[in-house]
Amino acid sequence: MNFIKRIITFQPSWTLRIITGMVSVVAFISMCLITGVLDISGAMAERDHEFTGRNIEAGAKYYFDQCARCHGGKGEGVDGLGPALSYDGFLGKWDPAKNTLGQSARLKAIGWTSSLKGYIEAVTAAGMPIKSSPIWENPHPPFALAYGGPLRDDQIKNIATFVVNWGPGQVAPVATQPEGGAGPQPTAAPLTAQQEKGKQVFLGAAGCQACHAIRGVAAGAVGPTMNKLATTAEARIKDAAYKGTAKNALEYIRESIVNPNVFVVAECPTGACIANVMPATFGTSLQPDDLNALIDYLGSLK
Amino acid sequence: MAIIGKRLVDQVRSTGLKATVAQRLDDGFTRLTSGLSWNDVRGVLRGDPPGKPNNRVKPHTEAFWFHIRPTFYHEAVTTLYPTFRLGYMSALFFAIEIITGIFLMIFYTPSPERAYQNMLDILTNVPFGQLMRDMHRLGAEVMVVVVTIHMWRTFLTASYKKPRQFTWFTGVILLIVTMFLSFSGYLLPWDQLALWAVTIGTSMADAAPLVGPQVNLLLRGAPDIGAGGLLRFYLFHVVLFPLIGVIFVAVHYYKVVRYGISLPPEMEGVGEDSARKVGPAKRVNFMPDILTNELVYAAIAIALLTIASGTFYNAALETHSNPLVTPNHTVAPWYFYWLQGLIKIPHILPVLPEALSTQFDSIMFNVLGITPKILWGIIIGPVIPLLLMVVPYIDPNPSRRYSDRKVMITLGVIFEVAILYLSLAGIPTGVPVTRFGFVGGDPASEIAQEFMPDEGVGKVKRVPWDQLAVGTWQIVPPDEAPNAPEFNHLLRELQQDMDHRTREADPNGKKLSGGTANVRVKLIQPDVKEFTLTISFTDDKGQPQQYSKTNYLHRNSGYEKE
Ligand code: HEM
Repeated sequence: MNFIKRIITFQPSWTLRIITGMVSVVAFISMCLITGVLDISGAMAERDHEFTGRNIEAGAKYYFDQCARCHGGKGEGVDGLGPALSYDGFLGKWDPAKNTLGQSARLKAIGWTSSLKGYIEAVTAAGMPIKSSPIWENPHPPFALAYGGPLRDDQIKNIATFVVNWGPGQVAPVATQPEGGAGPQPTAAPLTAQQEKGKQVFLGAAGCQACHAIRGVAAGAVGPTMNKLATTAEARIKDAAYKGTAKNALEYIRESIVNPNVFVVAECPTGACIANVMPATFGTSLQPDDLNALIDYLGSLK
Repeated sequence: MAIIGKRLVDQVRSTGLKATVAQRLDDGFTRLTSGLSWNDVRGVLRGDPPGKPNNRVKPHTEAFWFHIRPTFYHEAVTTLYPTFRLGYMSALFFAIEIITGIFLMIFYTPSPERAYQNMLDILTNVPFGQLMRDMHRLGAEVMVVVVTIHMWRTFLTASYKKPRQFTWFTGVILLIVTMFLSFSGYLLPWDQLALWAVTIGTSMADAAPLVGPQVNLLLRGAPDIGAGGLLRFYLFHVVLFPLIGVIFVAVHYYKVVRYGISLPPEMEGVGEDSARKVGPAKRVNFMPDILTNELVYAAIAIALLTIASGTFYNAALETHSNPLVTPNHTVAPWYFYWLQGLIKIPHILPVLPEALSTQFDSIMFNVLGITPKILWGIIIGPVIPLLLMVVPYIDPNPSRRYSDRKVMITLGVIFEVAILYLSLAGIPTGVPVTRFGFVGGDPASEIAQEFMPDEGVGKVKRVPWDQLAVGTWQIVPPDEAPNAPEFNHLLRELQQDMDHRTREADPNGKKLSGGTANVRVKLIQPDVKEFTLTISFTDDKGQPQQYSKTNYLHRNSGYEKE
């Protein structure tokens, strides 16, 4: 009680006032000076790095939401849908010594005189009025809210920052924008009668097209694309995480239809695929004939 | 001209150049201080006794800033008790907010396209920018605390009683202004935290009967907060509320000077007010004693605020606001938690047994159109400040002594406990033991929310980037990644959390069943990793379910510092 009383009736002496006053003023001024010096000698730059990092993270999220469907999760491009972005023909060659990107062949070819990032932002925002090559199914759609798309300007800027950030991590393109314009049209072998039947099963009875895309055939955007399924299936079997029993592509396709949860892949249009989304009932609901035809058809997609 | 020149020349001739300059400078200084020469001011700062006649009272009559301060105080109110200098501190923080606020205004544009980028620029391109922002934010929160405690002390010492009722009344207005200032400032950074905290706040207004939607529209400028809302909140924040604040601080201060600071209750007879009847022996002059004390307090407070802002305190800046994505578990700013807790009260009469109170709710709704939310959030919520305003006018007890005010003080304590309880109920975890106010989704999404919150920095973001081991890692039982102690620790914590949620149901009775999980880390760019947590579980209907959440993490984003 006495102690409390001493505190609440405390009257600082003049010496104490002068000393604490001085000390406080000095502490205040030094803190300001220290902050100022730190700010201009690197602290601001470091925060700039941090926020650029966070912007790239945000860009990654929007990229996988909106762009990866056509440009691929590694920016390698998707056949028929969109060109590669993370290769030197588009970004320019990465110069590790200088930490910079060289001249972009693509931008040179189309005569774009502004920056690479500016180009990415412009195309993402406004889209392109025409296809730059007949190998693409559609011209680039506009993504900015101002042009009827879903994205705000800051999101588009973040996406561009993310794409340019591939600089040192470029990959070999799967789908490349031909620099000159017209490129070779992909030629597909004609379907056999059995495969044609399978295609109809895909589009009709089974309802696969609601979730899966095949270039020029179906545009489902829930499950992984079936483009080049035969080729991807081969790769899947060799995947270290694969625990199924398939020995070849056709067996893999059958297993994936009859028992979809055996191996859930990571490449769905909106991110990693999720187990139990695909019904596990096709093994019983489809006629054996139809199932065989379907597998034959899907196996022809190379 | 000629005359002034002649006088000057004469003065230089008779007293010399140096003395003339000194005399002229001192003359100017005396004008600035409205009557104190340089030596007088030195005397004040050194605590010298006043001369005769005492020219230190001159500024109190001549100068604006001093005329709102009294010339002397009763010696009994100059110690820490009874005021604790809290009113002064409130005014000081108000001033700090104005100064730091003006600094920030220079770099800020109230438009959805620019605001967030402006915040980034303030932090990364403006020297002292982060310091000013931190001081402004921390200062605002401290100000809410200081003003609230100031109210508490005037309540406890019964200083609101005759003749100071109106002082208290203007005080409550200042409390409301302080909270609204903080709240309107909250929106301006235009990040997710800002947008959704303010959306919650304004949507309370929306529920009000009759005028609710109109008020909401008026505040937001559109059905949702956008360019119009941001501009309005900006104008509230930098014009309207500061203006009301300045006006009422002036009135408040005038009343304090007019009636003097009330003496400690035990020093006066019941019903007596002797603050202005101070015999010469009991007087403590404003100069030098009070003034120097206040200067020292100000210096200490400013130094502490600056040091805290410059070192450990960091005002958060979340991701850019996104009207389409509501972050999980958004909350209003902490000084409005109690209001959020209030609207969680499930019934109009929560004391009745469950069945009866449900019955009563539907009767009330059919007869008066009142739901529990409307009652607690829209009617009771705003009634609380009104109640505070009228306290001095309805308190019938003339005595200020603690021993005579047992009922009032008990009521005050109950009120405070209720506010604290409701504040706890306002946050998603709810009140510790009773779990009132708990909100939670299904266990899997709660786990993800705890480790990878939609906004803010969770445990996943704190793991050093290099330790995020690329690959797929099982949680039950936890895998061990080589050379990644903190990453492994994260996996174990995940496993413990899942284990905990499997064993114990949350307050809503939800449990995790059949839970397994894995973490997949992928390198998607040389300096960006994708971290995906996938939880598989069985839902109420026995169906297998999967929940997954992804974070992208850049090497440089510096989350471990937050
Ligand atoms: C921005 C907010 C405020 C400022 C700047 C402020 C300022 C002051 C100052 C400087 C005093 C002189 C005595 C002291 O320091 O305790 C005072 C007294 C007083 N204040 Fe405040 N105040 C504020 C808010 C409030 C609030 C929220 C209340 C109550 C609801 C309140 C009620 C009173 C009363 C009743 C007194 C008279 C105390 C007495 O004479 O002992 N004030 N105020």
